[in-house]
Amino acid sequence: MPTFDVLKTNSETRLTIRGSLDINTAPALAEEIDKIVAHKPGKVAVDLASLDLIDSSGVAALVKLYKGVRGVGGAVSFVGARDQPLAIFKLLRMDKVFNL
Amino acid sequence: MVATIRLTVPGTLRFRAIAVRVVAEAARLVSGSAQRDPDDPFSNDVRHPFDTAIVSAFMEIFNNIAIHAYQRRGHGTIEIAITPGERDLVIEVRDQGTPFEIDEVAPLPSELDEDSLPEGGMGIHIAKTMLDEMTYEPGPPNRWRLCKRLVANQAAGAGRS
Repeated sequence: MPTFDVLKTNSETRLTIRGSLDINTAPALAEEIDKIVAHKPGKVAVDLASLDLIDSSGVAALVKLYKGVRGVGGAVSFVGARDQPLAIFKLLRMDKVFNL
Repeated sequence: MVATIRLTVPGTLRFRAIAVRVVAEAARLVSGSAQRDPDDPFSNDVRHPFDTAIVSAFMEIFNNIAIHAYQRRGHGTIEIAITPGERDLVIEVRDQGTPFEIDEVAPLPSELDEDSLPEGGMGIHIAKTMLDEMTYEPGPPNRWRLCKRLVANQAAGAGRS
């Protein structure tokens, strides 16, 4: 199963991330993030409901997405974070920035 | 409680998932947490706060060794000794790679906003904050010691959801 998939609609780009987003899987997501940002999306929704584990490399990839999309004038929303990933976002105090 | 669990893996990220899996199961021995799906022994099911702390910290230390100590070259080994206690878990990790300057790790910004979101340097902060004790002795061998204690309100299923 892929770690992530991207669905583009007229209203938003939806990025769904599954399983473990870590130092082994984050580089592939970072490449996809480059493609998403290059299209200058107006709205990106990141679905984290199926994300089981995240490490600092995974967090860095999501920060890259957040900064990249906002840098081209878009908005990013994160939904569904739970368990270990949510604990990491809270520890890093990113939960408030990401509005989790 | 079980005896010390010992695992030696090559110092490469290829073996990271196996090591993390073993650590997660050892954490369950202490926390008493149940798997969401017992029929899927390889799922990344980490929910209990104790398991979360141990696994999160260990992942960062493994990353650090593979990337900094062994510089992604995949040579050398990572020796892991996991000792589950009645109410704590101690993980000792040894590698033969380049010593790490832990004191040079910059702290995270005290105030975090959209402009100051970090894109790196978070790993040691995560490990240190998640654990009750974390020590590092540069070598070689470099020695990490990670310790997490189970607090009363986390015992036996308190974190299940």
